[in-house]
Amino acid sequence: MSPDTLFEYSGPLVLLGWLALTFAPLAPRATDAIAGLMIPAVLSVAYAALILVNWSTAPGGFGSLAEVMALFTSPELALAGWIHYLAFDLFVGAWITRTARAERIPHLFLLPCLVLTFLFGPAGFLAFTALRANAAARARMTGAVA
Amino acid sequence: MTTALAAPRTTLPVLHRMWTDAPGFTGLALLLALALVPLYAAMALDLRVFDGESPWTKPVKFHFALAIYLISLAFFARYLPAVMRAARLWRLFSVAVMGAVLGEVVWLSAAAMQNTASHFNTEVPAFVTIYPIMGLLAVLLTSASLVMGIAIWRNRETGLPEATRLSVALGLILTFIATVIAAGHLSGNDGHFVGTSTRTMWIMGWSRDAGDLRVAHFLATHALHFVPLAGWLAASALSPAMATRAVVLATAAYAALIAGTFAQALAGQPFLPFIG
Repeated sequence: MSPDTLFEYSGPLVLLGWLALTFAPLAPRATDAIAGLMIPAVLSVAYAALILVNWSTAPGGFGSLAEVMALFTSPELALAGWIHYLAFDLFVGAWITRTARAERIPHLFLLPCLVLTFLFGPAGFLAFTALRANAAARARMTGAVA
Repeated sequence: MTTALAAPRTTLPVLHRMWTDAPGFTGLALLLALALVPLYAAMALDLRVFDGESPWTKPVKFHFALAIYLISLAFFARYLPAVMRAARLWRLFSVAVMGAVLGEVVWLSAAAMQNTASHFNTEVPAFVTIYPIMGLLAVLLTSASLVMGIAIWRNRETGLPEATRLSVALGLILTFIATVIAAGHLSGNDGHFVGTSTRTMWIMGWSRDAGDLRVAHFLATHALHFVPLAGWLAASALSPAMATRAVVLATAAYAALIAGTFAQALAGQPFLPFIG
């Protein structure tokens, strides 16, 4: 299978996970199984396979920025890196949704964090961390049980 | 443990006992099987060819073989004396065997990643150096069947009919002896084949027109399945005395079959060339 074909499959798959997270309150447990486990696992298999097949002939390495950039000049490894983003961003998105539910943070507040995580992974994590701190502070000051 | 063994025997063996009798072997067998998922994915992605096959064919075969080997040992572990299973020495030995298995599969996948030979590598220095060490690890992991075979041979409280117990012990011991001979010779050969092979069999990959030393290796390693199967059949169909004699006979016949296929391969003749 060519890197381009795999790239084309990975997009719709991960979108399915994000769509599920958007509507998570409708079926929280199924959503968590799909977005927090199944889709990341499938993407991880693809990632592992790409690394197994291409790592030995990969240019560059982890040692310097120049080496990392050289790594991404290989289409297969750039695809592996991309799938890594997709898998882990979705996994974090599922964790955010799960954590918010446990801490009773309204789902509506979550949506911007999920959008950010989808597009810019760590920025969404940061936004959710801020939202969580906000909810905790509010709970402490008002005496409400979070 | 002894009370469980003394309980009335059911027709189906209790499989979950493997997790308590040999947790390490059972767990590692499961992990080897699960690792087949990324290995098959790698096979699907990899366009490289090694010796006419995907470089991942070999790790895949070994993951199947070693998972079956470990799960079989885990099953037979119930016939070891309970004292032995609990002993520190046995636990240490199990860990060493598991380490050897892991070493083998990591080595095989490392070779596949580089699309180079694991066995018989004469080109890549690291693999040339490591080959004899892998041979030692292979003997270590196979020795688990010898150790278990002797222990079951000497254990009078397996709860098994005499013929079945004997067949399990003999099957395990034969696995070790015949595998070390067949695989030992194989490792010193230039490759799997004796002569030039142009056609191979589906799944097994055995040559259809040359001697293939892997046939004897395969039969040798599966002695721990075929001999106990014969023992179980004999014990359920024959009188105890006859069954024991049948087991001895079946073991001898099976050993002769291994020796025959070994000699056949050495003579450069294919095994049952009309199949596949």
